[in-house]
Amino acid sequence: MSGLRRALLALAALAILAGVGAAALILTSDHTTPRGLAAALILTAGWSFAGTGLYAWDRRPGNNIGPLMTAIGFTFFFQGLSSSNNEVVFAIGIIGSSLPYAILIHLLVTFPAGRFESRFQRVVVGAAYLTTTVLQLGWAFFIDPTKQSDCGNCPENPILIAGHEGVANAINAVQVLTATFGIASTVAIVYLRWRRSTPAQRRVLTPVVLTGGVAFTILLAQLILSEAGVPQAVEDGTYIAAIVVFASLPFAFLLGLLRSRIGKAEEITTALSAENEQLNAELQAKVEELRASRARIVEAGYAERRRVERNLHDGAQQRLMALTMNLRLARDKLGEDPATTGELLDEAMEELAAATAELRELARGIHPVLLSERGLRAALGGLAERSPVPVELVATPAERLPAPIEMAAYFVVAEALTNVARYAEAEVATVRVERRNGTVEVEIRDDGVGGAELDAGTGLRGLEDRVGALEGSFSVTSRAGEGTTVEASIPCA
Amino acid sequence: MKDNWLVSTSVLIVDDHPSFRAGARRMLEASGYAVIGEAADGEAALEAVRELRPDLVLLDVQLPDIDGFEVAARLERAGAAPAIVLTSSRDRADFGDALAESPARGFIAKGELSGSTLAELTG
Repeated sequence: MSGLRRALLALAALAILAGVGAAALILTSDHTTPRGLAAALILTAGWSFAGTGLYAWDRRPGNNIGPLMTAIGFTFFFQGLSSSNNEVVFAIGIIGSSLPYAILIHLLVTFPAGRFESRFQRVVVGAAYLTTTVLQLGWAFFIDPTKQSDCGNCPENPILIAGHEGVANAINAVQVLTATFGIASTVAIVYLRWRRSTPAQRRVLTPVVLTGGVAFTILLAQLILSEAGVPQAVEDGTYIAAIVVFASLPFAFLLGLLRSRIGKAEEITTALSAENEQLNAELQAKVEELRASRARIVEAGYAERRRVERNLHDGAQQRLMALTMNLRLARDKLGEDPATTGELLDEAMEELAAATAELRELARGIHPVLLSERGLRAALGGLAERSPVPVELVATPAERLPAPIEMAAYFVVAEALTNVARYAEAEVATVRVERRNGTVEVEIRDDGVGGAELDAGTGLRGLEDRVGALEGSFSVTSRAGEGTTVEASIPCA
Repeated sequence: MKDNWLVSTSVLIVDDHPSFRAGARRMLEASGYAVIGEAADGEAALEAVRELRPDLVLLDVQLPDIDGFEVAARLERAGAAPAIVLTSSRDRADFGDALAESPARGFIAKGELSGSTLAELTG
């Protein structure tokens, strides 16, 4: 059993004893009438508030509502003390008898969160406590119960400063004013809270507002009727009704509080489903992105094949055609024109050398053998050597990396350097490929004209897809006049 | 053979590859043809035909702008078209029905181009 649970059970036992004690005082009182009804009011109101309050305290330990309800229950028993025939106990009872109403205001103002929401709420509750403690104590010094019409057999007031009835009346007038202010403000606060509540929040407030409203009305009616001097039976009837409604008030608080748990669960469900929707949308976007990049990769494959075919057709194949014609012509001229034959054969050899070089270049574009055989450092060295723009290799990895990563890094550098040569008008380019913290960082920087764009058909989008396929990130920074920096970061455990 | 002709057949060579044009010119001239012009794309070819009025156009199929079939069709529509021989570094089979539907006299793969293969189609 937890410490809190033990303490709450101890409080429950204390509440039972306090209730029995208060009831005993009332039933043996010389001045409280009607004794039975008064005892019933104290017991039902006190026990119901204390019982439901302790239950709420146990269920919602972080919420002040439970402790407040429990406090109302206990302070009700103070009223029992005022029934005592012993003058000291009687005086203590008088002083504390109005405290539960201040706590009730505190409870209503802060229900169901158990927290203040504004300075005004603090003022209202503070004024209520001031009225029922300091002002009540002040009033107790000057009130002479024996002179009150409805307190015929009351004990003497042991702290009475006699002869200042006027002061007692003045303090009482202030109390009436502040109590009116407190009650009106509380009604307003609860009403406004009700107005701006969502349907779920209203389900929490409804029991309290309804029961509280009925209780207020009946208490008011009872007050008016007792002043108007109606038959005792009617007065007793409204008194009993008030007791019943007042005693049911804590159950309304409890019901509201438990509903707020349900409301909380609904809020959580709503929040979760909103989060779900968000996640779904993000997932959908990701799927779309993947679909698009997959389509681009497939298209890039086809485009690459077309490029290879065109390069073969325009390059080596044309040279070989010309070579064929030269050789045929040379054969025809053989014997009759040795000089021309020699020239034709020289040209044929030049064409052959050019065709061989073009085929080699093309093959390297399809798959760089140097890369697969000797790794990134050697292959990047080859790229730098062939680049028409001077390339400084700042860093290259000495070790071999997984083949797909080497390929991606190589093609990022190759494509970037091709762009540097074609568009950048750069003096120099630097290449940095480093393995760091589980990623391979690739950076190609030039001092050219800048202004490169991902979607300008420069092959950069293809690089982004290639890097993205390895869960990597790719970026191009290229402000006009400030050179271009191509960066890729590829995970590499 | 053509050396015997009184007047050589005039030829326009249309191809976007200079090395091929140079080789074809040398080969055709060695075979007795008079190469009177070269064009590197389709529009230039149409223009050159209007200006030079060659007897024969050696026309590459793949050109940077309009392809050889289109050039042949437009020359045919313009009337009084010269004899047209299509050529390509690709095979006949790469073009499907297009060769048969073209008004050109015929097709010679670039690897087989010579004075005699040309004469077979135009002679």
